[in-house]
Amino acid sequence: MAKIEIEIDGKLVNARAGEMLIAVTDRESISVPRFCYHKKLSISANCRMCLVDVEGAPKPQPACSTPIADGMKIHTQNEKAKASQKAVMEFLLINHPLDCPICDQGGECELQDVAMDYGSDVSRFTEGKRIVADSDIGALIQTDMTRCIHCTRCVRFGAEIAGIMEMGGTGRGEDMKIEPFLTEGIQSELSGNMIDVCPVGALTSKPFRYELRSWQMNSMSNIARHDLVGSNIYTQTYKGKVKRIVARDNDDTNETWISDRDRFSYEGLAHENRLLAPQIKVEGEWKEVEWNVALDFATRGLGNSVLNNHQSDQLGALASNTATLEEFHLLQKILRELGSENIDHRLNVKNLNSPIALDSNVKLVNLENMDHALIIGSYTRLEQPMVNHRLRKASLKGATVDVINAMEFDFNYSINSENIIAPNKVVATLAGVLKVVLESKQQELPDYLTSVKTDDVITELAEKLLAEGQSVIVLGEHVINNDSAASIANLITNIAKQTKSSTLNLSASGNSMAANLSGFVPGKGGLDVNAMLESELKAYILLDVYPHYDFHHSIKAIDALNKDGAFIISLNSFKDKDVANYSDVMLPISCFYETSGSHVNIEGEIQSFTASVSAPSDTKPAWKVLKVLADLLELPGFHYADSAQVTSEITHQSHKSHVHDENIDLTTKQGIQIIWQKSPYAVDALSRHAISLQATKIGQMNSASMNKATAKKLEMTQGDEYLGVPAIISETVANNCVFVNANRSTQAGGQS
Amino acid sequence: MNEVCFKTLDQKKSWSLKTYEANGGYSVWRKILKGELTPDQIIDELKTSGLRGRGGAGFPTGLKWSFMPRNADVQKYVVCNSDEGEPGTCKDRDILRYNPHSVIEGMAIGSFVMNATKGYNYIRGEFMEPFYRFEGALKEAYDAGLLGENLDGSSVSFDLYAHLGAGAYICGEETALLESLEGKKGQPRFKPPFPANIGLFGMPTTINNTESFASVPEILAQGGQWFADIGVENSGGCKLFSVTGHVNEPANFEVPMGIPFKDLLEMAGGIREGRTLKAVIPGGSSTPVLTADAAMAMTMDYDGIEKAGSMLGAGSVIIMDDTTCMVEALTRLAHFYYDESCGQCTPCREGTGWLYRVLKRIMDGNGKADDIDLLLGVQDKIIGNTICALGDAAAMPVESFLRNFRQEFEYYIEHGKSMVKG
Ligand SMILES: Cc1cc2nc3c(=O)[nH]c(=O)nc-3n(C[C@H](O)[C@H](O)[C@H](O)COP(=O)(O)O)c2cc1C
Ligand code: SF4
Ligand code: SF4
Ligand code: FES
Repeated sequence: MAKIEIEIDGKLVNARAGEMLIAVTDRESISVPRFCYHKKLSISANCRMCLVDVEGAPKPQPACSTPIADGMKIHTQNEKAKASQKAVMEFLLINHPLDCPICDQGGECELQDVAMDYGSDVSRFTEGKRIVADSDIGALIQTDMTRCIHCTRCVRFGAEIAGIMEMGGTGRGEDMKIEPFLTEGIQSELSGNMIDVCPVGALTSKPFRYELRSWQMNSMSNIARHDLVGSNIYTQTYKGKVKRIVARDNDDTNETWISDRDRFSYEGLAHENRLLAPQIKVEGEWKEVEWNVALDFATRGLGNSVLNNHQSDQLGALASNTATLEEFHLLQKILRELGSENIDHRLNVKNLNSPIALDSNVKLVNLENMDHALIIGSYTRLEQPMVNHRLRKASLKGATVDVINAMEFDFNYSINSENIIAPNKVVATLAGVLKVVLESKQQELPDYLTSVKTDDVITELAEKLLAEGQSVIVLGEHVINNDSAASIANLITNIAKQTKSSTLNLSASGNSMAANLSGFVPGKGGLDVNAMLESELKAYILLDVYPHYDFHHSIKAIDALNKDGAFIISLNSFKDKDVANYSDVMLPISCFYETSGSHVNIEGEIQSFTASVSAPSDTKPAWKVLKVLADLLELPGFHYADSAQVTSEITHQSHKSHVHDENIDLTTKQGIQIIWQKSPYAVDALSRHAISLQATKIGQMNSASMNKATAKKLEMTQGDEYLGVPAIISETVANNCVFVNANRSTQAGGQS
Repeated sequence: MNEVCFKTLDQKKSWSLKTYEANGGYSVWRKILKGELTPDQIIDELKTSGLRGRGGAGFPTGLKWSFMPRNADVQKYVVCNSDEGEPGTCKDRDILRYNPHSVIEGMAIGSFVMNATKGYNYIRGEFMEPFYRFEGALKEAYDAGLLGENLDGSSVSFDLYAHLGAGAYICGEETALLESLEGKKGQPRFKPPFPANIGLFGMPTTINNTESFASVPEILAQGGQWFADIGVENSGGCKLFSVTGHVNEPANFEVPMGIPFKDLLEMAGGIREGRTLKAVIPGGSSTPVLTADAAMAMTMDYDGIEKAGSMLGAGSVIIMDDTTCMVEALTRLAHFYYDESCGQCTPCREGTGWLYRVLKRIMDGNGKADDIDLLLGVQDKIIGNTICALGDAAAMPVESFLRNFRQEFEYYIEHGKSMVKG
C-alpha cells in the first residue's frame, strides 16, 4: 500500500493509505480511548468512544473505522473530539453500576480507566438504572451482565476466533442483551479469552472470583506446557500462589489467545492431592522423611539393586511429557553416566518397534497461509487448540481441509472431505494416495504399491495435495494407537516429498519435543518403554509418571512395576495410588510455574521460563533433585548453579539426527481397533486436578464410542463399561473401531 | 397532479400489467432489451431530471447510479427500500398497491445501468396487501417475459425477488436492510465502506427508495428535462406527499415540487372545522417541527423547506392543530425512537432511553426546572456521534420542539399538567 503522510495533533506521521486511523495512533502512542476495537477482531465501531475530529468532516469520526487518506488532519484532543468522547463516556456510565469497589474487574477495567480521563464527576442521570439478569454460562466464566457495555467483543470473538457463536446480542435498543444463545453454557475450548477481551467486569474468571484485585498481584511471564505450541502467558501471583493466568502476546505462537486448558489448569496447583513431603517405604509402610534421608535411601537403593553389581543395564528411566527440557536432559545424563541406555518418554505409544518418524517443517504463522491441509488422526481443535486456530484461519481464507479420522469430530471450520475409516485402513488409504501421486507424475511405482487399490475418494485426496498452492499434511495423536504408525508416517513423508507439502507431526504432545531434543529416548542397546516393562528391570527412576493415564499399555505397566524386586524412585508432583504401590521412594517435585526450565514447541523453538512462585512446602524443582541425586551418585559434570546452565549445555551439545527405517508395510491386523486417548483436559496431572476445567463439558468427555455393529460384536450396550469408560453407541464412529476418550474419572484405563 | 408514480391511479385495476402497458409502461425496458439505450444515456437523463432520492436523504439518483462499479466482475445487486417505517409516511405502500409495475420497471432499468442481474424489494413486514400486489405483478412480469434470463433473446438478465421484513423501523436504514436481507439481525453497518462497494453479501449494491425507482420509467419515457420542468430549481419533478394528522382528508398527493404548503393543506381538505393550525412536521417524524407561521410561508421543495427550518425528508407532512399538546407529541416521538433504536451504538442506545424517560417524567408531573437544559444537552450529545442517522433522527425533534414550543414544556414542568389539555 502506498505510503502517505497525515497530521495528528499537529504532528506529521507516516502511514499506509487505507489503514485505520486507530492503528496509526496506536503505533505512534497517541492515546485514543476505545472499547469495541480489538486489534485481532473485526471492526464494529459501536461504542463510539474513539471519536476524533477530522478536518473537513462535518461530524466527528471514529478512529477505529476511519481509513486514512493522504494529507488528513486529525485532532484527537481538541474541543470537538473531547466533547464527543465525554458525551459517549457519559452515556456509557448512565446505566453502568458505579460500584467498582465490589466489581471483580476493579483495577483492570478499561471503562474505569477511561472514565478517569474522560468522565465527569457528577452524573446528571437521575432515572433508574438498567438491571440485567444473569445466566449461568458454565464453570469458567462468571457473568455480571448489568456491567456489560455492549461492545460485542465477546460476540465477535466467538464468531471469528472460537468459531462457535456462543454469545450474541438479542433484543434491540436499551433492551439489547449480550447473552449465550444456548442454555447448556459456553463450550468452546478457547472460551476464557472472552474474559480477556471483555473491557469491563461483565465477563470475569469464575475460579478467580472475588479473590483479589489485579494490583495486588505480581504478573510474571511464563510458558504453558500442555501442548506443542507453548503459549505465552502471564502468571498472576499473590503471596506465592498462582491466582490467575492470562494471555501474553506473541504473534509467533499464540497471538493474543490461549486455550482454556492453559488458562485454568493452574487451579490444580493448590489441589489437596499434591505430594508435599519426601517418603520412603520401610517394610511396606510409607514414612515421611527429610530430603537427605530420602535421597540417601534412593542412592543406596540404586546401589543395592543394580549399581553395586554392575548391572546398570537393569536400570530404566521413564518420564511423562510434562517435564522440562532441563529435567529430561539431567535424567538421561544420569542414566548414561551410570551406563544405561534404557530411557524413554513415549509411554503412550502402542508399538515402538517401528516408531513414528516425521518432521514438522512448517511455522505456526505459515499454517495460516496454507491452501490445503490433510489431517490424519486428530481432533485438532481440542488436542492442539492453537494449532487448530491457525488452520481455521487458513480455512477462513479459503483453504480446503480434508480429514482421515476414525470418528466424526466437531471441527470449527468446514471440512472438504471427511473420511471416517477404521485405523487399520489408514495405511492402505495413504498408500493409495501415494500411488495416485506417483502415477500422476509418471513415476515408477515401488513394488509394494502395485497391487494397492485406489478409488475416487483416494484420487481426490491426492489431487488436492497435487494442486497448485501450499499444502500441509498433519499427523495427529490418534496415530500412536495404530499398529502401522511407522508406515503411516513414512507414507506421509513420501507423499509430502512428491507433492511438495509441508508436514506437521502432532503425534506427541506436551513437552515431548524437549524430550526428543535432549535425547530422552533409548540409545544403542537400550530398551524402549514397552521392552523395559517386558523385561522386568531391577530399578527405575520415574519422572512424574502416573501409570494409569500415561502408559498405552497401562494395565501391563502397572503389573510390571508392581512385580517384586524392582527398586523404584518416583518423582511426582501429585499423589497417586499406583505410584504409592510400586515405588520405594517418592520425591515431591514442583509443578508448572513453580520451577524454571524450558519448553520446546513444534517449531523447535526453545522457550525458557523462570519460576513464578516458589515450590510449596517441601517440594523441590525436579532439576535440582536430579542434580543432587547425581552428586550423591558421585557422577561428574553436574555442577550447575541454575537451570539456565543446563539449558545452555543442551543447546551447545551436538544432536545426532536419528536414522529411521523407511520401511513401509501395508499388512494390517483384522478385528476391532481401539483408539485410546486421554480426554483433552486429562492430558497431564495438573489439568486432571483443575476442578473447574473438569466441570466443563470437555472435561467430562469420558466415553468409548462405537457404532451399532461394533457394539454387537463386543456385546456392548449403551452405558456398559468398556476399558473403564461408559460405552456410547454412535454411527459417527468407523466400523470395527472403538474411540475412547478417558478423563480423570476413568476406572480401569488403557489397553492391556 | 398524478403524472408519474400515480399515473394509473384513476384507472381500472391500476396495478395490472395491462393497465400499466396501456399507459406506456415497459416501453423503456423494451427499448433497453432491443439495445436502443445505453447506461450512460440513462444516467445522463436522470441527472438532467434532477431526481433526488425519495427515501429521505435526497441524494441525486443519477449520481448514485454512476458510483456503481458496473464493470466489476462480480455479482452486483439492486435493492429497493420499501420498508417505509417513518411515522407520517405511507406513500411507498400506495405505489406498491396501485402501481407496482413502475417499481419493477424502475428496478429493471437500474439493474441494466449498474449491470446487476439480481434485485430484491424489501417490503415492510406489516404491508401484507402491498406485498401480495407486488408478488402478483412480479408473476405477471415473469409470465410476460419481462423478467428472467436473456430477456427477449438479448444478453440482458434480471431476476427480482420480494422480501417481507419483520417490522423493525431500523431495517429501513439501507445497511440494516442489507443485514436483514442476509438473514442477520437488522443493525446498520458503519460506513465506509459504502454499499456501492461492499453491499449485499459483500457485493456492490445500489439501494433506492420505492418512489425513486417508480419515478425512473416515466422520466426516461418523457425525458429528463420534462421531469425537471415540472419542479423547481434543485428539486426536479413531482413528489408524493403524505398529508396526515389534523386535516379533513388525509391522503397521498403527487404534486409538483415547489407547490406552496398552503395549497397542499387545501388539497387535504384543510384543518378541521373550528381549529387552527399549530405546527407542521414537513418531512416525517425525523425532521424538525415548524410553527404554523413558518409552514404557511413555505414552499414544498428541498430548498423551500430547508429555508423554513426543516427538511423535506420522505415528504411526510404531519399536521397538528391547536388541540395538540406538544409535550405529549414529543414524548410519543421520543418513545418511538427509544423503542426502535437497534441498540448497537452507545449514544443512541443510552440516549434515546434517557430522552424518553425525562419526557415521561415531565408528563407524570415530576418535571424539574433544569430538565429542558438536560434534554437539550442529551440530544446534542447524540447528534453526529452515532453509526446511523436514527440517532440524529431521535435527537432532532427534541431541539425543534423545545425551540418552537418551549413555553409549553416550561408550563408542564411548573404545573405538572398540560398547558393545552389541562
Ligand atoms: C432510521 C432510518 C430509517 C430509514 N427508513 C427508510 C425507509 O423506510 N425507506 C427508505 O426508502 N429509506 C429509508 N431510510 C433511508 C435509507 O437509508 C436510504 O438513504 C434510502 O433508502 C436511499 O434511497 P434513495 O436514495 O432513493 O432515497 C432510512 C434511514 C434511516 C437512518
Ligand atoms: S460482555 Fe463484555 S465483551 Fe461482551 S459485549 Fe458486554 S462488555 Fe463487551
Ligand atoms: S444510531 Fe441507533 S439505530 Fe443507528 S446504529 Fe446506532 S443504535 Fe442502531
Ligand atoms: S473503538 Fe471505535 S467505535 Fe468503539
